[in-house]
Amino acid sequence: MEPLSRFFHRRSEKALADTALQAAISRATGKFLGARADAVAAFPGFEAARDEGSRIRRETLDRLDFHLARFIAEAERRGAVVHVARDGAEACEIAARVAKEEGVALAVKSKSMLAEEIGLNEALKSAGVDVVEADLGEYIVQLAGEPPSHILAPAVHMARERVARLFEEKLGEPYTDRIPELVGIARRRLREKFLTAGMGITGANFLCADTGSVVLVTNEGNGRMGTILPRVHLVVAGIEKVIPGLADLPVLLRLLTRSATGQPISTYVSVLTGVKRPEDPEGPERLHVILVDNGRTGILQGKYRDILKCIRCGACLNVCPVYQSVGGHAYGWVYSGPMGSVLTPLLAGLAEGAPLANASTLCGACAEVCPVKIPLPEFLLELRADEREQGLKDPAEVFGMKGYAAVMGRAGILEALERFIGVISQVLFKEGKAPWLPFRFSAWTDRRDFPAPSPQPFRKLWKKQRGIRP
Amino acid sequence: MNPADRKEELIRRIAVALRGRDGANPAPASKASREGTSGEADRIARFREMFESQGGNYLAGPSLEPMLPALGEALRISGVAELFFPPDDAGARLVAETLVPFGPFTLVSLDEVRRPSAPPSAGIQTAEFAIAETGTIVQTGREGKTLLPGLLADVHVVLLSPAVFVDRMEECLAALSGDLPRNISFITGPSRTGDIEQTIVIGAHGPKKSIAVLLP
Repeated sequence: MEPLSRFFHRRSEKALADTALQAAISRATGKFLGARADAVAAFPGFEAARDEGSRIRRETLDRLDFHLARFIAEAERRGAVVHVARDGAEACEIAARVAKEEGVALAVKSKSMLAEEIGLNEALKSAGVDVVEADLGEYIVQLAGEPPSHILAPAVHMARERVARLFEEKLGEPYTDRIPELVGIARRRLREKFLTAGMGITGANFLCADTGSVVLVTNEGNGRMGTILPRVHLVVAGIEKVIPGLADLPVLLRLLTRSATGQPISTYVSVLTGVKRPEDPEGPERLHVILVDNGRTGILQGKYRDILKCIRCGACLNVCPVYQSVGGHAYGWVYSGPMGSVLTPLLAGLAEGAPLANASTLCGACAEVCPVKIPLPEFLLELRADEREQGLKDPAEVFGMKGYAAVMGRAGILEALERFIGVISQVLFKEGKAPWLPFRFSAWTDRRDFPAPSPQPFRKLWKKQRGIRP
Repeated sequence: MNPADRKEELIRRIAVALRGRDGANPAPASKASREGTSGEADRIARFREMFESQGGNYLAGPSLEPMLPALGEALRISGVAELFFPPDDAGARLVAETLVPFGPFTLVSLDEVRRPSAPPSAGIQTAEFAIAETGTIVQTGREGKTLLPGLLADVHVVLLSPAVFVDRMEECLAALSGDLPRNISFITGPSRTGDIEQTIVIGAHGPKKSIAVLLP
């Protein structure tokens, strides 16, 4: 997927003008947040689990070479074929080769953010493989030819009527906007695919180093279908998905599902180890795991290592006032919300992703909900500093901030300037409102009035209010 | 570069990213935690509460016979026409066979339920573990067991005995870790989706109903 994050401003303006989108996002994030809050309140050990989960993820990353080597050895010992890919293009090449060598024409795929990141579907399609998304939300956005807009609910931006029309147009089904009937149509259509597909493609929620196991979490059951029925199972996973062992899994699951949907556990959790054994009545005969770097070792090396702790729960998206306002598509790439605003500049380049890091008030809500305690606001701030250091900031902004710093450091100059602006604004603005500001500041007044500058300097007002005589 | 070299190269690249050129690689210390366990009756009660809160149907009685009418009724209202069970699961076979007149239902083989156009079925199976903390049923592929009842059936009927209950997932994983099965499935309630307008709908891809039957 080609990143378009540099157009965040334009894209967010479009999103802000779309009232149906606003309603859909607000409904979804509200539901997720409410469910999460209830689940956390009902689980007294949540804070302790956060500490533990954060520790496990950080310690894994600090020793990722050891754990990843162990995962590879254990998975291969149990019959998996492990591939490594330096970047997305290489991963796609390997996937296409696997499909060809295994003679796969139809693949069923479970939701995977990494697959979106590397453009896996397009690559397999060019290689002649028909890839059907099996998660309902992904199935819907695939039919619509759109990218997903939320980690957990890819079709969060679509109303039922749109889904109904889509099923009517693309599948030739009679129109119904009853949600259970729409789900029934998808169930029937996809069941046939599950039973006939040659390959199941999944991501991984976790990779267990001590057993070489792949862990998948779903509510619909698509992850189970695609890993029990087809003859081949292809896993694409980022190298950061490793955890030391199966024993670390329960605490991370407790955090993941509560943070994501507010469930104590998702309906289906599969721990998949190796290939079908002689005595097994079903299961894939072949298991391929593609471990994808695509910029992750670069992140590991630097000050942003902790962003790789992310377990993709989506809690930071739901709680973020920016995400709540503009939705996932405005971010222009695969990852949205606060985690996306950190990950996009790191994976797609700072020049591409910097507008995301700047589009935050640094309110800190994301850090409060993050189940593995990633310091997201600090990272957003740090990325802005990097942008300045790398000379990517608008020179006018740099100049302006330098001027601001110079004035704020000198009380006399600040007061003189305040008096000057105060006098001018009395001439220009009425009723204490500034409906417009000169260019460069006009964005503040495009959609609302700015309070007109006070005729008196701040320090004078302060003293007056405190009863201090000048 | 051959595949083995590529893997080594990736591991080396990570080591360098973490610790610079000379990165030594001591094995980390492992850490295990244990929490207190509770009594059997308490485990069963907590399982039931969690299982039901996530949409599961729970049946218990002094023996199988008095539960059969209710179970048959539950299957009938779900439109079930066929019953299937793992061939090596004697308990499930007994339940399926005695249930037939309550439908009436037809007994079918595992191959028959794999047909794309198979009529609605119930898959009956003995659970390997039941986790009290989350109301979760555990099915594995251990010793050639099939996973199809909890996968393809419209109704998943799980037979529980008091011995299968554990407090937490940790205990279950520890018990299975000796000879890890290819597939360990933790199943909690019926299949669900909230992907259209965040409205929860039961029965996305997996069973539309999950029934736990506790037999003494």
